[in-house]
Amino acid sequence: MQLDYEKLNFKCGIEIHQQLDTHKLFCNCPSIIRDDKPDIVIKRKLRASAGESGEVDAAALHESKRDKQFIYQAYSDTTCLVELDEEPPHDLNKEALEITLQVALMLNAKVVDKICFMRKTVVDGSNTSGFQRTALIATDGFVETSKGKVSVDSICLEEEAAKIVKRTENEDTYNLSRLGIPLVEIATAPDIKDPEHCKETAKKLGMVLRSTNKVKRGLGTIRQDVNLSIKGKSRVEIKGFQDLKNMPKIIENEVKRHLKLLEKGKEIKKEVRKANKDLTTSFMRPMPGSARMYPETDIRTIRPDISKIKIPELITDKSKKLEKDFKLNKDLADLITKSGKTDFFIKLAEKYKNIKPLFIADSLVNSGKEIKRRYNKDIDSSEHIEEILDYLNKGKISKEAVFEILVEKAQGKKVDYKKYFLMSDEEIKKILKEIIAKNEGAPFNALMGQAMAKLRGKADGKKIVELLKKEI
Amino acid sequence: MQAKTGDTVLVQTKDKEVNGILMPVPETEEDIVILKLESGYNIGIDKKNIKTIKLVKTAEKKKEKKAEIKSNKKLPTISILHTGGTIASKVDYKTGGVIAGFSASEMLELFPELEKIANIKSRKIASMQSEMMRFVHYNLMAKEIEKEVEKGVDGIIITHGTDTMHYSSAALAFILEDLPVPVILVGSQRSSDRGSTDAAINLISACYFIANFDFADVAICMHENMSDDSCLILPALKTRKMHTSRRDAFRAINSMPFARVSFNENNISFMIKDYNKKSDKKLKLSLFNEKIRVGLIKTHTNMFTEEFLTYKNFDGLVIEGTGLGHLPNEEIDEYTKENKKIFNSLKDMIKKGLIAVMSSQTIYGRIQMNVYTPMRELQEIGVLGHLSDMTAETTFIKLAWLLSNYKKEEVKELITKNLKGEISERVEDKTFLS
Repeated sequence: MQLDYEKLNFKCGIEIHQQLDTHKLFCNCPSIIRDDKPDIVIKRKLRASAGESGEVDAAALHESKRDKQFIYQAYSDTTCLVELDEEPPHDLNKEALEITLQVALMLNAKVVDKICFMRKTVVDGSNTSGFQRTALIATDGFVETSKGKVSVDSICLEEEAAKIVKRTENEDTYNLSRLGIPLVEIATAPDIKDPEHCKETAKKLGMVLRSTNKVKRGLGTIRQDVNLSIKGKSRVEIKGFQDLKNMPKIIENEVKRHLKLLEKGKEIKKEVRKANKDLTTSFMRPMPGSARMYPETDIRTIRPDISKIKIPELITDKSKKLEKDFKLNKDLADLITKSGKTDFFIKLAEKYKNIKPLFIADSLVNSGKEIKRRYNKDIDSSEHIEEILDYLNKGKISKEAVFEILVEKAQGKKVDYKKYFLMSDEEIKKILKEIIAKNEGAPFNALMGQAMAKLRGKADGKKIVELLKKEI
Repeated sequence: MQAKTGDTVLVQTKDKEVNGILMPVPETEEDIVILKLESGYNIGIDKKNIKTIKLVKTAEKKKEKKAEIKSNKKLPTISILHTGGTIASKVDYKTGGVIAGFSASEMLELFPELEKIANIKSRKIASMQSEMMRFVHYNLMAKEIEKEVEKGVDGIIITHGTDTMHYSSAALAFILEDLPVPVILVGSQRSSDRGSTDAAINLISACYFIANFDFADVAICMHENMSDDSCLILPALKTRKMHTSRRDAFRAINSMPFARVSFNENNISFMIKDYNKKSDKKLKLSLFNEKIRVGLIKTHTNMFTEEFLTYKNFDGLVIEGTGLGHLPNEEIDEYTKENKKIFNSLKDMIKKGLIAVMSSQTIYGRIQMNVYTPMRELQEIGVLGHLSDMTAETTFIKLAWLLSNYKKEEVKELITKNLKGEISERVEDKTFLS
């Protein structure tokens, strides 16, 4: 069944949460997410202090009814009294604000005159304080898509919540290493036209965020929440999309669920739902009311200065530039820009004129993956590549040696570069002669195979072919 | 009509229209207007960018909820008297302003556990941060306590700002004589409006303690550690705030806590067996003389005589000396002439009637002014405090209270005599940094 989203009066907006790659938002702890054994474990209770505004917060009530105990795990060396809610927040992390302002400007948004941090009530235990610190940084932006502009209603800067470790009936355990990591939240207007368009918008916003080169990468560092409704009925929020690829299907299934409910004459409940592995959704909790925010009195209001904010070049623009300036193919250019190593690549390519940019790019983004695949060792090639390329550029080692050296580094060995120094033509000839003598009458390819095995990294492949041909 | 805080308005700026509720603006930021948007977020808008502010809707007045509270004859009655501080601060979710709600029904709404422990009475007697307090406030608290005792309540809880809670507890311990019921001071390091408030456990534990034991002294009830599972009942005269922000900031100094209350496990364990018990005694008040002037000076290196001279017309001076009770009072070489001047001025001030008492800035431990010669010289000129293990704060309160109620000669004798448990005769090893 093909759905006509326009006819269904499909309303859809997206909220993106992206962790920033800086220290924490309100203390100087590093943003390191851990799951090793904690050396601090404390027990707390949270209370729903509802009612001040005359309204009872539905979400808060739902949680408080459970009267749970919360266990918090923390680490002396990477978490401090701020995460434990034993010390008021320090001043706002300036770098995080700067990145958020960059994002705001890239999304053509209007930055507020003065930033007021708020306490958003959270009683599920994921914040030791019982609230999340959050501030509206900019409004009224937009992002261009293939189906027109999607308005960006708000760009917020907030604290990441603690990570759930275990839930039992009476106790929830959280790890505090994630609590307080700066999080940029981008919320669009319900301008998204259909499920595919939602994915496109999510991808575009993700690309904009990564263009700052200051966002965290990897699983869980960016999260998408989708809000949708059809036929003017209640709005539902879907959380927990693991893979953007599946986003359209999950949205489609959710719309179908709404249609089924309406067919049966049932009500669509305003609620938060979880994206399931089978691409359906399931109930998570009631939709939080709007009465959950009050001012964070421990932080003074902040006047943002956008006059000094440099707007970063978009990753997509950078990729095009790499293709043009360094003759990289699109895939490799995209890999470089997505990895955030663009500036480093340009520096290397300009510094080492004797090496093809293609080879530099490939060593930078692909050798690590190859080593992981073949040797199951982790290495960030950008940490070592400059030193190695320096030898290659001077003609002291072969291209093949670059990978071999990286493998040794990945294995934690101390590299003896002399071992890789290229042999003189005389030395090569001597070895080739030995091989030929031992394998009399063997075909060229067999001899070449043996020569390569013996000379890998010590002589250039082309040179070996050339000399071997002469020797036969 | 001018829009007021709490009203819904439409703000027209140079480039946009913003709808929201007018919020109070801190005094230091009068160049902006703060709006609460529909999303709940507040934003600041520069006044200079605003063209017009149109009133859309005036603020609704909140109806006071008045719930009937039934009293349970089987339960004891506890009076909660509020003086202010973090424990009493609640933010108005709409305006962001701090509001006070102190009726018994509001207390029970915030802390429903209390209902099963005791019949709760509650009223406000002051509304101040504790660092603003003066001696007059100790008298005020004592008189309010007296009223409650006369009404026959089974115990009294004073909610109090934490910064000087240990000054107040010491003051009340001296003022209240023949106290027939317990008076427990309770504060919080996280305000009552947040989910993570420590107020609830502190208050509930204090009520549980009052309701279930025969203790009738003045004490402080605060968190034992960072977790919400136990509170300590701390001695009024031997406790100090030892951290700016942690829940477990209050520590017994040179003493054990009276007791540990583990509310969740319905358990109280006593660490001090010797305490005053509930009785039919008639409460008497020995109030502070609000005109008494006592200073508290912390000694340091490179001191100047003028620092001491500040107190020349005071009735008393507590010196927070170094170590066992030192201050820079000797001329050692050509560079230390000022020290001798300090000694001479102090000598002069004492001669003219100032009562000077030594305490230690080490916080823990006892004063011993015989160990080194310079301290013996201080004793010669009349500096008191030898063998006291009172904190500087307790020494300050005690000196002022003695000066309010006794003749000078008596004060000199009583300052180092244990009256209410403020000086320990023996200090156990495990009291240090515990």
